[in-house]
Amino acid sequence: MPIKLMAASRRRPGLTRAEYFRYIEHYHGTIARQERFKIASYIQNHVIDGAFGVLADRTHQQVSDRECVVELYFDNFPDMLATLEPATPSAASQDGKFFADEPTNVIVMAEEEEIPVPTPLTTFNAGLGIVKSVGSLKVLQYIMRDDEVYREDYYRYWREAHESAMEKSPYAREQMRRCVANKRCRINDNDGAARKHFGMVDPPVYDLVVSMWFDTIEHVGAFRQYNEALQAFPTKFANWSKSLFLYTRSVPIIRDTPMN
Amino acid sequence: MPQATRDVNAKPEIKTQLNYKDWYASTKKKAERPALTQEEKARPFAKYFRDPVPPDPAHLAKMDTPCDPAKAIGPEHMNDLLNPGYLDVEIGWCNLPNGAGFIANCYQHKGVTAEMIDWWFAWHTLEDLRYRIWYPPQHGGIMISPETRKRMLDPSVPLHEKNWGATHHVTENCDCGMENIDISFMSPKDFGFDMSRWKEPFVSTFAGGYGWACAVNKNDESITAPAMMCHIFRTIPGGIEHRTRFWMGYRFSNGKPELSLPPGIEVPVAAVQGLARHNVKEFKNLGVLLPEIYKELGGKMEV
Repeated sequence: MPIKLMAASRRRPGLTRAEYFRYIEHYHGTIARQERFKIASYIQNHVIDGAFGVLADRTHQQVSDRECVVELYFDNFPDMLATLEPATPSAASQDGKFFADEPTNVIVMAEEEEIPVPTPLTTFNAGLGIVKSVGSLKVLQYIMRDDEVYREDYYRYWREAHESAMEKSPYAREQMRRCVANKRCRINDNDGAARKHFGMVDPPVYDLVVSMWFDTIEHVGAFRQYNEALQAFPTKFANWSKSLFLYTRSVPIIRDTPMN
Repeated sequence: MPQATRDVNAKPEIKTQLNYKDWYASTKKKAERPALTQEEKARPFAKYFRDPVPPDPAHLAKMDTPCDPAKAIGPEHMNDLLNPGYLDVEIGWCNLPNGAGFIANCYQHKGVTAEMIDWWFAWHTLEDLRYRIWYPPQHGGIMISPETRKRMLDPSVPLHEKNWGATHHVTENCDCGMENIDISFMSPKDFGFDMSRWKEPFVSTFAGGYGWACAVNKNDESITAPAMMCHIFRTIPGGIEHRTRFWMGYRFSNGKPELSLPPGIEVPVAAVQGLARHNVKEFKNLGVLLPEIYKELGGKMEV
């Protein structure tokens, strides 16, 4: 998939999490299916748990709750724009205000890079051992670039830190089934109209969101081991106080059967 | 590294390094093209900070009006540049039917070699002044990241490969106001050239990649604009022939050029023509400057 939009949102004031999830999956999701435009694939990642910043922070330095990260996949950029900015506003674009606290949305237009993992196929449960690179727990890690580090060096350092963390994390080496680096596309710089529409003021800019899959939430300790090693990497590349990770359950809204 | 902790005794090629935050903050000043500092005036190449050699008016006049888009090529036909002879448009610009901006330019530079080109495109990244002497009226400054700097100064990396994967952060006026442009250079293979055809006499060297440009004085409405940039060179008797192509509005997606304009939107004519005119001016001056400066400083990175 050449380009996708990742939108992290939290629930609007007055909604319970249960009400939010019911709405976004069954109502908002249905609208998207009915009015698909040029969406190639649409996944909602419902947040189970997560953490924002680091233990050393005295208080949060960012919006510290997220309920869902929506991923909209497109075959190309014109398809993305045709869907997000149709001639007549789509029902989906008008629907967000009924469940999301839109001014605090975080939008990342990203291009995926598959990062190989050592154990894409589970060795733990034979019942799961037929398909590689899947898992029911998806961790989304938003890593804020240190503002002194150039983007090109940041990506390089993250990759070095990732490899080092994997080396130092035997549990993650064994349990991480898939890893995808979602690198922010500079086209995302041109989202002034969307920011204005949603009333977003200086939203945080994440140059990298990493998706990692594990078999089940029981294996999330593997991520914690990995994350500890990642943050201990000696070269400074991230602002961990403004970074976050989310444990999520993926809910496919639009996902066609791949054609052979 | 923060400015406060910079080693004042370091070599100029090292001392100039700013971290991203400080570099970005410095670009507003660079955009004003400030007078040279005492340190810069003491550099042996400061004498090249001079009025540029103007292009032939007839050459520049070819950029006055757009060429026939039917005779232009898109990036999918970049390998036509490896054909013998010339393409239909070697000097000109236009909007392609899909809205992209197309620019072609061609120069024959006497006394210039491929080695000089490879050296120049690596050497000029290391200090603002090196970039500014290329075309003083419109070049404000340049920065590379610490990792890119290591690569530029690594003697084990051949000159013609130093820029592969390197990003130049330039502050430049392409006749539409000062912009910060991040130019990520690529190998010819990664750019999309057919390497089975990559040989003399059809091609001698290459400098190209993709860029993202945004106004130095950006605001919330400013557009960050993508473009593909191709400078391809072939040796001719007594010098080198330089052929430029820009495809504005394209970015690389999964290693392939992809039009990245909103549906129904064209790259503004002023931006296409502006870059075309700037290209004619800056490469005229470089063609004259390069044999001179190479004779004095060529081949080595540190001065």
